[in-house]
Amino acid sequence: MNKLRVLLIDDEIMIREGFKRLFDWEAHDCEVVGEAADGMEALAKIDSLNPDIVIMDINIPIMNGLKVIQTSRIKHPDVAFVIVSGYDDFSYCREALRLQITDYILKPVNYEEFGSCIDNLKIALFRRESSKQEDRHEERTILGITRYLQEHLDEEITLYVLAEQFHLNPQYISQLFKSEIGVNFLAYLTNIRMERAKKLLLSTSLSISDISEQSGYGDYRVFTKVFKKTEGVTPSQYRRDFLDRQ
Amino acid sequence: MLRMEIALFSVVAFVAYIYFSAEKERAPLHRTFSVLLVAVLANLMFDGITVYTVHHLETIPRLLNDAVHRLFLGSMVLTIYLFYQYIAILVETQTGKPRRLDLPAAIFLLIAQLCNYLLPISYTVTDKGNYSSGPYMYVPYAAVVFYLLLCAGLLAVNRKQINKKEKYTIGIALTIEFTVCALQALFHTWLISGMGITLMTLSFYLTLENPEALRAELTEQKMSMLYLKSQVNPHFLYNTLDTIRIQAQLNGDTKVAELLMRLVDFFRLSVKIDRQMVTLDDEMELLEAYMELMCYRYPELHCEYDIDPDLGAAKVPNFILQPIVENSLLHGLKNKGYRGEIIISAKETDEDNIEICVRDTGNGFENGRKDAIDKMLQNYARQAPKLTGNSVGILNVQKRIKLLCGREYGLSYTENEDSGVTAHILLPMKEKIK
Repeated sequence: MNKLRVLLIDDEIMIREGFKRLFDWEAHDCEVVGEAADGMEALAKIDSLNPDIVIMDINIPIMNGLKVIQTSRIKHPDVAFVIVSGYDDFSYCREALRLQITDYILKPVNYEEFGSCIDNLKIALFRRESSKQEDRHEERTILGITRYLQEHLDEEITLYVLAEQFHLNPQYISQLFKSEIGVNFLAYLTNIRMERAKKLLLSTSLSISDISEQSGYGDYRVFTKVFKKTEGVTPSQYRRDFLDRQ
Repeated sequence: MLRMEIALFSVVAFVAYIYFSAEKERAPLHRTFSVLLVAVLANLMFDGITVYTVHHLETIPRLLNDAVHRLFLGSMVLTIYLFYQYIAILVETQTGKPRRLDLPAAIFLLIAQLCNYLLPISYTVTDKGNYSSGPYMYVPYAAVVFYLLLCAGLLAVNRKQINKKEKYTIGIALTIEFTVCALQALFHTWLISGMGITLMTLSFYLTLENPEALRAELTEQKMSMLYLKSQVNPHFLYNTLDTIRIQAQLNGDTKVAELLMRLVDFFRLSVKIDRQMVTLDDEMELLEAYMELMCYRYPELHCEYDIDPDLGAAKVPNFILQPIVENSLLHGLKNKGYRGEIIISAKETDEDNIEICVRDTGNGFENGRKDAIDKMLQNYARQAPKLTGNSVGILNVQKRIKLLCGREYGLSYTENEDSGVTAHILLPMKEKIK
């Protein structure tokens, strides 16, 4: 798997430095290939560096982040844009979602938790690829494993359980996740558990602790914490936001 | 005749008493008025004395009579000079134009005072009464004409920029003062100069210097300070804190970075005070940021949460939990050296309400304190609005809950069986999504 190329855009040098030095890009198979401090520079760098991921502040000089995305989208349809937004321009986020951005995170950025954002990005890429390959006949082991995970989400699943099920070495499965999807097993598991939880929150009226259980979390407190970390809001707020929008 | 002087003196003395006992700021205008009041009082006193001595020319020594007369007219010239000064400062503050006539006015005052004490004085005795006369008598008339014309000129030139009420009151007082002086010049035995001066002083007092006007001015200033304070951009505050946080982390100081992160969270969340109702999750997030910082400062302080997750989206009045917890900390745990525990729980009651409890393991209520608190919380509406004090936080919470949720909801305290107290906040569920 090739390293993902990352472009950082923020007008504050400290924020860029933070991203560059406080997040372990190496461990996530990424490398920072450039940075930009304003909208014009951003457009030029997107064109010249051709990054896979652009981490973008909205409130930047000369041309705001959303305009940059809008403009470069046409030439670079596959770039994953991750928006970093302060609360002051939170209202932009709704607009941003319409521009098909991959993710948005709120300032202050917790660089240690930023990894889940990159993981989600990779998982999304993996899903897009595997859906393209569905018509192929030979079954990849990883697809079997992910399907199994999907069906047994409410149970306790570890690498050992998978190893037994698929008659494989746990180490091998772990490496499989790394090489096929680019994320470790636990990150993938958390991701699909959150997907399940979100689906249940929006489509059912089950209580939070029921949803927590069905998504594989025995303790709803843990569930709420993980949910908040990855989605930025608590489960009940997530549900309420959705209902409010309707 | 002496009766009028005594009456005028009493009136001005009364005004002076009220004025000096009132709370005011030390602006040039108010300082001038203070000096003016003293000068007027002195003038009225000498006025009374001369009215007496001038009618007892045979018994009072000539030298003493001369002295009090010169002092009387000297203080009168000073008073009229202060009238001018006061109006000049008033015009300056209201128009922003600098005072350019101060020097001629001061020079005139000096010359007038010199003449007053040096020119010869004589006494005229008539059937209707006695009065002082002679060349020195020209001094006060010249002063009145000079200063009052200056005042009238200032008011007339700047009439558009001066407050309507003040303009007319002072204008009328000026006219009366002028008339009084003209009458005095025509009828020497009337001795009515004190009347005009008192009227002028009262017109200043009533329009510009009474305690009500002063208090309004003070309040306005305090409010504008508060307003300015609130204008310090909160985004600037937490963006800067965030920059410091990143720098700390780059320097490898994880703990400082973490604490700053919580502080940033706390500020970011408390910026949302423009909303009246927020979700319970929002409230809890703010509270957790606050408690984490407090627990870091006081390592023996612990906090526990027991929140029903389904209540997370329930709407509650903004900023009700933090003041209650802060109150528990300050009154329950502070005196125990912040050793203890705070337990915050939220659950649904049988009547479909939300009950939030803040339980502490502190010292509990002092004797009689619980009754006082209960009473205050029950009669929340009748409590005078306070800006400071111990219970202002919980009273404010009580008032807002009653206002936003209804009178059947609110805050109450109970004593724990073991130690400490529990605050109960009862809120409606109606906003909850099933």
